[in-house]
Amino acid sequence: MTSNTPKPAVRTVQDAVDTNASFETETHSDVADHESVLDISKFSLWYGQARALYDVSMSIPRGKVTALIGPSGCGKSTLLRSVNRLNDLVSIVRTEGEMMLNNRSIYDPSVDVISLRKRVGMVFQKSNPFPMSIFENVIYPLRISGERKKSVLKETCERALRSAAIWDEVKDRLNESALGLSGGQQQRLCIARAVAVEPEVLLMDEPCSALDPIATAKIEELIHDIAGRYTVLIVTHNMQQASRVSDFTAFMYLGRLVEYGTTSQIFQTPKLSETEQYVTGRFG
Amino acid sequence: MSRKPNATTHQMELPPTPLQARGVAATWVTGLALVLCTVMILGLLGMIVIGGGKTFWQRPIDSVQLQSGEQLLGMEYRRESRPGASDRVLYRVGNRDLGQQPFKWVEIDSIDSVLEPADAVLLERQEWGIWLGVPERIYEINESGDIADIAIGSEAVLEVLGEQLKLASTRRAEANALRSGPIADINDRLERLRLSELEAQLRVTGNNRPHHLGWGLWWAVIAALVIAILGAVRIGHPLAKRSLVIISLLAVLVGYTERPWAGRPWTQEQFETHKAEVEEQRTILTTEFRELSNELVALEQDDARFRIEVRDLATGQFAPISRSQMSEPMKISQILRVVQANEIGLGGKAKLYLARWWDFLTDDPREANTEGGVFPVIVGTLLVTIMLTIAVVPLGVLAALYMREYAKQGAMISILRVAINNLAGVPSIVYGVFGLGFFCYGIGGVIDGGTDPSLVLRVGQWWVLVLVIAAMLFFVLALSGREKQGKKSLLIFGLWSGVALLSVIAVFSTPYFEGFFQAKLLDGSPTFGTSGLLWASLTLALLTLPVVIVSAEEAIAAVPASLREGSYGCGASKWQTIQRVVLPGAMPGIMTGAILAMARGAGEVAPLMIVGAVKLAPELPFEDRFPFIFADRSFMHLGFHIFDLGFKSPDSEAARGYVWTTTLLLVTLVVMMNLIAIRIRTKLKARFVSGQF
Repeated sequence: MTSNTPKPAVRTVQDAVDTNASFETETHSDVADHESVLDISKFSLWYGQARALYDVSMSIPRGKVTALIGPSGCGKSTLLRSVNRLNDLVSIVRTEGEMMLNNRSIYDPSVDVISLRKRVGMVFQKSNPFPMSIFENVIYPLRISGERKKSVLKETCERALRSAAIWDEVKDRLNESALGLSGGQQQRLCIARAVAVEPEVLLMDEPCSALDPIATAKIEELIHDIAGRYTVLIVTHNMQQASRVSDFTAFMYLGRLVEYGTTSQIFQTPKLSETEQYVTGRFG
Repeated sequence: MSRKPNATTHQMELPPTPLQARGVAATWVTGLALVLCTVMILGLLGMIVIGGGKTFWQRPIDSVQLQSGEQLLGMEYRRESRPGASDRVLYRVGNRDLGQQPFKWVEIDSIDSVLEPADAVLLERQEWGIWLGVPERIYEINESGDIADIAIGSEAVLEVLGEQLKLASTRRAEANALRSGPIADINDRLERLRLSELEAQLRVTGNNRPHHLGWGLWWAVIAALVIAILGAVRIGHPLAKRSLVIISLLAVLVGYTERPWAGRPWTQEQFETHKAEVEEQRTILTTEFRELSNELVALEQDDARFRIEVRDLATGQFAPISRSQMSEPMKISQILRVVQANEIGLGGKAKLYLARWWDFLTDDPREANTEGGVFPVIVGTLLVTIMLTIAVVPLGVLAALYMREYAKQGAMISILRVAINNLAGVPSIVYGVFGLGFFCYGIGGVIDGGTDPSLVLRVGQWWVLVLVIAAMLFFVLALSGREKQGKKSLLIFGLWSGVALLSVIAVFSTPYFEGFFQAKLLDGSPTFGTSGLLWASLTLALLTLPVVIVSAEEAIAAVPASLREGSYGCGASKWQTIQRVVLPGAMPGIMTGAILAMARGAGEVAPLMIVGAVKLAPELPFEDRFPFIFADRSFMHLGFHIFDLGFKSPDSEAARGYVWTTTLLLVTLVVMMNLIAIRIRTKLKARFVSGQF
């Protein structure tokens, strides 16, 4: 099973870690064939003195599902949360480098964070429905942008719930508390909430890690269904999940993006031994 | 390696658990502590319930024959055994008009016999407390002064008494309606006339100031306002809108301090015409008043024709009409209730008991609060509690929000937090003194009569302003987090606080503002410049502020970060997140703080004694005329009432029962308020678990 592909001539990932330097990502050429919606270039991030991301560069293809995998603490979630600038909430965070959403810089001082976050939806690891009715939960993004028309709200609610494949289960109890739903339903409700305003990119931070296998299967199916309409960037610990739902996969290790390519390339013909060891479960 | 043989030879020999590890003693000790606490709390509550419950229960009226030949009529109150002497009984004998003590100790050894006479009655009267005696005669004095008997002999009297009492109460109601209706109205109008006269006097003799700003400056203010409005409408930029708000605030402030509508100085002639008008009106009102009083006198004379003789057994004296006319029997209308205590039976006693509780809850106090009811006391307590809650909860929650959501969590905020926690430990009497000085005399004084001339800021004191502004800016800088658009928001915040500060300084230091109630101040009666309901509520609000801030802060911090992130992730701004997710989530905790504040405020006595609670408030703090709530009035408060009854009453024995009932009432009231609040909290909490809305 050892890969015969040539290793980068300069140095290994471990070298980069040892010297506290960044690592040049091994990007498969297939990625470049797709039109990208999000371009990340030389993006670094510090929590106070601790550096969490080292010059990450990648471009996320439009309308595809891209999975971020890697061992705990490798910066997957940090990278994900940088896309909608949720890291801004942490006062000690400092960033460098560039992120472009549709060729507009995300970190430009003139960018309105609020409208950015409306274009980049997010689903969290732990489902976090608000303590309101199911209906109010779904239309929350519309409410905060001041939409008052009953018809628009109702329409959006139904469309979003249908996209999240939960409409049939909740259509008769839209006015009940969202906290009465099961875990899997809550997570799908959160997905409905995230897609209610038709975001361009949907960020998913380990959306199934707190769910049972059946609920997980439903969410995965759902990700499959919405893949064409939204660009999905998903963080997962579960490599089977990554291989099942994603079109592209990026392997991260200790703040560096190690290898990035189509899912089949990463899982079947990885170029680097670290990637291979990780996806075959020999470390991490 | 050496351990291996040990492991194989190990025997399953379990030594008994050592005694101290079993913790039997700990179980006993903790259990005992719980029992002790429960017994003490239940004991206290039980004592209050029993003591308060038995006060209104009617006891039999005993006719006690002493060995000395004396006879007395009384209700056994309590017994006392004394070591080395014979036991004694305390009888409530009433009949205070005879110049005797209403309670009498009788040694048991000196009692010859005790009877319960059927015809002995207890009179609850308007004045002078209860009267115990035997009814003998009811009669009517005719127009000509002749006496016509209606009933003679106790049986006959008791037979017609019910009907006579009803008639008397109609007559009393008629007189009362006249007193509280048209007569009170005329008094009110006379008082207002007097005030307008005083005001007129002020306008003539007061410091005749010229037009304050002059028309030029007024035009400037108006122009600035118009420009700001136009700017806000046309440009629509947030900055223009903000400046509109600021300029409007300044304009309101200028208007407030300048009061262009307030009376301009009057000439002597104007004053004379006004005075003549007032005088004319006063004559009309006085004539009306005289007519009404004549009507009242006629009613009272008619009422005074119906008399009743109820004889005291010991002295043979009947209940007099008043202390100075001992030879005249009392009017029937002076009686509120007649109780034939030995004849009414259990059902009658139960009915009487409930009727007395009803009176207690709905009547005004009489006889130095030892009789009658506590209605104004309940109203005062509820009002002060409601007002303090309204004042403290929004303020506390806003402060907590800033501390938890906006401020940078650093040394400054920690110091602030410690300071607030310590504030909760400051003795309440200190708050009372502060409230009197700051609210009553400070702010109240300014509202009444304008600024103290020594406070007026003069040109040479500009540095005070600079210092205060600098301190404020420093504070803001120290507190505000480093945000991305920091400079702009800081600038706006600074602008806001600057305007707020200027407003406060302007109000307190303007030489033009002369107060709203200067006329009343002229004859030495301050309106807001003395203790009263508003200041008492605010003092209590200050007292309970730390509790509210701390609990609100905890509740806000307890809202899960995932909810906030979810909201931010949907594109909500900070304020939207706070408003829609954080505050609703923190509501149960905030309610807890409000409950604690209410309970503490309702039970507090010490500061209230200083800032507004009084022994007897002649008027309720609200009336059915503008402005409905008279927040400047003093009020009665249950806590203070208990203190007053128990320790300041001229007749502590008579007040004893009322201390118990009032305590019971206060405890019930606080428990009820808590129950309501807890119900609301549970309902709110239910929203965060599951189920229906």
